[in-house]
Amino acid sequence: MRPILLQGHERSLTQIKFNREGDLLFSCSKDHVINVWFADNGERLGTYNGHNGTVWTIDVDSLSRFLVSGSADNTMRLWSVQTGKCLYSWEFPTAVKRVAFSEDDDQIVCITEQRMGHQGAIRVFDIDREGDGTDQSKEPVSFFNPTSSKAVVCAFAHTPNLILTGHESGKVALFDASTGEEVQANERAHMDVITDLQLSPDRSYFITSSRDKTARLHDTRTLMVLKTYTTETPLNSAAIAPTKPYVLLGGGQDAMSVTTTSLRQGKFETRFWHKIYEEEVGRVKGHFGPVNTIAVSPKGDCYASGGEDGFVRVHHFDESYFRAKPYGDLEIED
Amino acid sequence: MASTAPKTSWADEIDELEQPKGEDYVDENGIRTIVETVINDEGKTVKITRKIKRILQKQVVDHTVAERKTWAKFGQEKGSKPGPDRATTTIGESVMLKLSAGNKQSEPEPSAEQTLKSNLVRAGAGKVACRLCKGDHFTAKCPYKDSLPGLDGTDTPPFGGDDAAAPEPAAPAAGGKYVPPSMRNGARGPGESMGRPGGSRDDLPTLRVTNISEDTQENDLRDLFGAFGRVARVYVGRDRETGAGKGFAFVSFEDKAVAQRAMEKTHGRGYDNLILSVQWSQPREQR
Repeated sequence: MRPILLQGHERSLTQIKFNREGDLLFSCSKDHVINVWFADNGERLGTYNGHNGTVWTIDVDSLSRFLVSGSADNTMRLWSVQTGKCLYSWEFPTAVKRVAFSEDDDQIVCITEQRMGHQGAIRVFDIDREGDGTDQSKEPVSFFNPTSSKAVVCAFAHTPNLILTGHESGKVALFDASTGEEVQANERAHMDVITDLQLSPDRSYFITSSRDKTARLHDTRTLMVLKTYTTETPLNSAAIAPTKPYVLLGGGQDAMSVTTTSLRQGKFETRFWHKIYEEEVGRVKGHFGPVNTIAVSPKGDCYASGGEDGFVRVHHFDESYFRAKPYGDLEIED
Repeated sequence: MASTAPKTSWADEIDELEQPKGEDYVDENGIRTIVETVINDEGKTVKITRKIKRILQKQVVDHTVAERKTWAKFGQEKGSKPGPDRATTTIGESVMLKLSAGNKQSEPEPSAEQTLKSNLVRAGAGKVACRLCKGDHFTAKCPYKDSLPGLDGTDTPPFGGDDAAAPEPAAPAAGGKYVPPSMRNGARGPGESMGRPGGSRDDLPTLRVTNISEDTQENDLRDLFGAFGRVARVYVGRDRETGAGKGFAFVSFEDKAVAQRAMEKTHGRGYDNLILSVQWSQPREQR
């Protein structure tokens, strides 16, 4: 497996995302720029310039028409994927930490940070998909402040009106998108801050990663923990591999202690865990810093990881990956 | 060739004549072979043969994906020609992903100390053994470092005849480790040229303690060896002029078994940043 190294960022990566067909890879970092790449050969299609702060988060709709990004310059922007033009910009009192499209592409949910006397807030916006996309409503259709611990990651759940959130305390919760009411919660899902949340293709279950060194698979409807993957390092990202029964976990020690630890100790590998048997089945190394974000192509034929070292590494799986049956006849078809 | 530019030196022309022509052909299998002859940095002529096979990979993709491939570049890539740019896209070193059952996490990573130990073993320096407790660790890491180990005395080996010769100092390692002559079998130990003052006191079992620091006083040694049993006499060799220690001392015990145990426990032990050498005191040879 020869990875393709993408050097489009000058600072550490914050999030990477594949589009629905898996041919485009979006990456954002602390250097204010969003890049889009062709996943098959690593060619850069373009950049989305305009943010004036760390771009914390991105999401792309299922038609690869719109891209939404949230940044530390207190704006959330809507971009045209094809041209790189900024179509609309929403202003907030604080930084935008997480954005996500709904399954039908008609809504965006975003989390703004709790800072400077402002409470952390979750807002839901309707997206007008008619015309060129520049005519968006400024006001959210729904706005609420989750009480207790602040929300750090979010996504639309299996039904349109539910928002799934991961919190700083390790809580996982479901909120009603219109009323802001907490429908369901698992207070003890993790022991530490949740760093990533990615849903399965059908949104029936999801994986969370946490700094408490574990990743967990949850049932979306009941928020019950289905599986736990315990590693020896704080985790920054977790992804579910489609077509094969694996989950991918990435992490490493804190960025501040990177320079004082050796590469081997740093545990900067991407770990492959068996989704059902909860055992580690393989590792891929390569990054010189902690892995900040992992994304798997929806087709399951390639995955990418973005690190604190500023590189995105795109790996197209070898034939052996698809043939491998580490558990022999016990192997589970996804 | 000669018509393109006037040659400055006749030697250049000859070089060019001698140089064989490069070859470049495509065989029936579609493999392009390029043969070049170049002069490398050391001035040697080398022939480079490169065989290139180009395989066109076809892929069936969605219409939307195919359409996206035709999109014009934008942003910082605006106007760039199609194809990956070497400045932003490079191919990394091949990495292995071997999927196998069994939790790799349970395999402990070798610590730095273990790596060092295995390196020592490989280098033929013998096993790492603690000088205090003979355990499989460095003396500095010994859990009994701060307390004299095994003072219960139950493990005291019986001692042989009264006039037994000095027991061999710490058996030399069986491996190829260097052993100084003074420590080899049959040698009488370091510092033996130092005269033993006070005449013969062979009636008391006496240990010769060498490699002690200059500042060591009688009382220090009494404290150290008193832990093993009654110490009858301590003599520290001193410089007659300055009074500073000369680095050796004699400690007499009342009981031979105690002396033996004290020697076993203290020989090779760190004391005042120095490693003590404790042996039986040899009676002065008759001259």
